[in-house]
Amino acid sequence: MNLTRSAQRLLTDNLSLEDALPTRLPAYVNSIAYLFGVTTLSALGLLVVTGVTMALFGPDWYHGRQAPGSGLGRFVNSLHFWSVQLFFFALVAHLASKFAMAAWRDGRWKTWTLGALALGVAIFTALTGFLAQTNWDSQWIALQAKDAMNAVGVGAFFNTMNTGQVLTLHVVALPLLLVLVVGAHLFFIRRDGPVKPIDAGKPNE
Amino acid sequence: MSKRTEAYLQGVPTKPYDLLREGLIVLTLAVIAIVVLAAVFSSPDYPTVRGEDVAKLQPLAYLKTSANILAGNHSVQDYGPPYTSNTENAQSLYGIAPANWFGVTIPVDPSRDLVLQPLERVATLNPGVASALDTYQAASADQQQAWVSAYLDALDGATEESGVVTIPPGDYGPVATLMNGMLALGRAGLLEGALDSSDRLPYSLDYTKSLLFFLDDVDASVAEKLDMASDQWGVSHETGRYPGAWWLWPYTFLYQIPPMSSSGNADLEAVGIFTAAFLLLLLAPFIPILNRLPRALRIYRLIWRDWYRRRGCPPPR
Repeated sequence: MNLTRSAQRLLTDNLSLEDALPTRLPAYVNSIAYLFGVTTLSALGLLVVTGVTMALFGPDWYHGRQAPGSGLGRFVNSLHFWSVQLFFFALVAHLASKFAMAAWRDGRWKTWTLGALALGVAIFTALTGFLAQTNWDSQWIALQAKDAMNAVGVGAFFNTMNTGQVLTLHVVALPLLLVLVVGAHLFFIRRDGPVKPIDAGKPNE
Repeated sequence: MSKRTEAYLQGVPTKPYDLLREGLIVLTLAVIAIVVLAAVFSSPDYPTVRGEDVAKLQPLAYLKTSANILAGNHSVQDYGPPYTSNTENAQSLYGIAPANWFGVTIPVDPSRDLVLQPLERVATLNPGVASALDTYQAASADQQQAWVSAYLDALDGATEESGVVTIPPGDYGPVATLMNGMLALGRAGLLEGALDSSDRLPYSLDYTKSLLFFLDDVDASVAEKLDMASDQWGVSHETGRYPGAWWLWPYTFLYQIPPMSSSGNADLEAVGIFTAAFLLLLLAPFIPILNRLPRALRIYRLIWRDWYRRRGCPPPR
């Protein structure tokens, strides 16, 4: 068995260069609703860039408590905060529009399920982000969230008040998981292409 | 196109498209929006509640917190796993209590860990506190409780002026000295250090004990003022006039309605309902009725209105 040839065949059958980087699209792709996904991706990119910058310089820098350059740190913190807002706004709009389009049709259930899973991972990532801020929000949310975590047994492994664990989850583990899920979601989007309009092949209602 | 796409789109008209151009335009607009929002509105950063601040600004609240913990009144005192070994207080649903499955993984004995152990550190610097601590620990549990209860009652009539706390005289045994030791520890800014010290020092990133210290009264009171208490949609609120975690509204909403609003198992019930709702979302393609809902809502006719119009169908009203 030639693995390289198998990989070639897999790509030829499932993801050509035109699928991955399309220069033509079906004519029915003509609505602002199709922009929510790319807006979510843009916000995710901004989150990664601003988040990595914050991780490199540390909490004192992004809380604006350490001169010099602390003003810039606070600004990057603000960029990260507003990127989160944009990310969830676009993600919820993307999800709602894809639900309205019943975009799971024609075998696209994997794309839908991975997208919904990305929402779940994103919510948990955001929770650890609030916990990692090391300000009042973190303090109060850690105390509040502990009860839900403990009630379902997760508290035995995830302590919202353990900042070392929270930071690792927020900066490394969860973003990595989110990017992997989003990557798989994108693979199926590009492989299958945009779903046809409902009843596209049938006479008009 | 791949064979798969070619087969799917057979007969469907296409139009020119530039994926990278579209992506770059959206990214640029996103960057502009974020930079403007950050520059104009900045971001929330409300300071933490610290032992030093509470001890200096609200010494009576600090003393009350310390005495209540010593009396065994902290909400974690008989919480159950993962903090304490008793299991009767764990939240349960139909007799199932997941909190008890894994036992005590984060042991916390509030009166010992949050008061007596920090006082042992104060005792090494202050012989008066050392003597009071010896007296307290040598007394019977009933005697200890009587002293602390009397002290807590007296705190209701205590006054504070320019940082000096005056407590009506009474039989508090060594408790007044111990509490003054706790207050001195807080005012020196050493409370959190004494609470979170561990054998991993100087590296300690686990702030469980110092975060738990002010949980019941001081933190709850601050949260109430900031509209962040549980009955105020709690953690989905942000400090100030900033948008918070609004994507958690469906979850925090559950705490506002029965039975969760008055249930001792509210967290387990809310997480259970939220998880079930999330599974519905995840499996929507396979759930009858739910997977037909988009056809009934007919919003898709707005999204694809050009397509339907080109095919001679009037756009949706």
